[in-house]
Amino acid sequence: MKKLFPPAVHLAVLAVWLTLALYLIFLYAPREATMGEVQRIFYIHFSSACTALLAYFFVFLGSMGYLWKRSRRADDFAYASAEVGFLFCCAVLVTGPLWAKPAWGIWWTWDARLTSTFILWLLYIAYLMLRSYVINPGRVEILASVVGVIGFVDAVIDYMAIRWWRTQHPQPVLGGGSGSGLDPRMWVTVFVTWGAFLCLFSYLVRQRMAMAEARRELVELRRELAA
Amino acid sequence: MNTYLFLAYSIVWVIFVGYAWTLSRRHARLRKELEDLKARIGKAPKP
Repeated sequence: MKKLFPPAVHLAVLAVWLTLALYLIFLYAPREATMGEVQRIFYIHFSSACTALLAYFFVFLGSMGYLWKRSRRADDFAYASAEVGFLFCCAVLVTGPLWAKPAWGIWWTWDARLTSTFILWLLYIAYLMLRSYVINPGRVEILASVVGVIGFVDAVIDYMAIRWWRTQHPQPVLGGGSGSGLDPRMWVTVFVTWGAFLCLFSYLVRQRMAMAEARRELVELRRELAA
Repeated sequence: MNTYLFLAYSIVWVIFVGYAWTLSRRHARLRKELEDLKARIGKAPKP
């Protein structure tokens, strides 16, 4: 991976992709008829939400990998996905109310989608706090993996909330059936922006995993030096 | 530009750039510490 796609190339691709996404959002996508300019928040809100949910799926996969095989790499992946996924979840909870206020007239409501997203955010915090405060090596990975696996239930509920219940939050845009479509130019903008966010996510996870590897090497060297 | 739109994009930008910046600083500090330690081990007399 490092040889095929070095971090510098990854960063360059990310910069081009993000620039293209911003161009499409502000200059290509049409102005929405009822909400006007503020609807352009949708592109980063949707992309952040999809990425935050996907990140928790990666936390789940990494946690399962650690519990099953005791794989350090799987644990590093889960930890990195949780840290970066938390940022995307923060982005969802910031852009949501900033769009809700002009669109609905309220900043927040405790409907199924918003509540389950808020719980997902709390789960990310719980996972990261656990990783920071429990210092027993071996034990912290197991505890965090259990949280990673159990917490995935909320990620599923979060994804399905607008399909299972009537909510203040709009019905799904992606896979939502008839009447949930967008203008074709909006679709292009949505997918390019989401792609850019996935590229950003993968870059940050990769850097975070490289850091975890360096930290492990440092701990081993210290142990070697002390022996 | 609409205030809500401006705030949404600015805050998201700050979140990601801020994190990337702290990540690169943490990583650089760790690498430096690792190099220092490797140099110390290299300098230590071999038994």
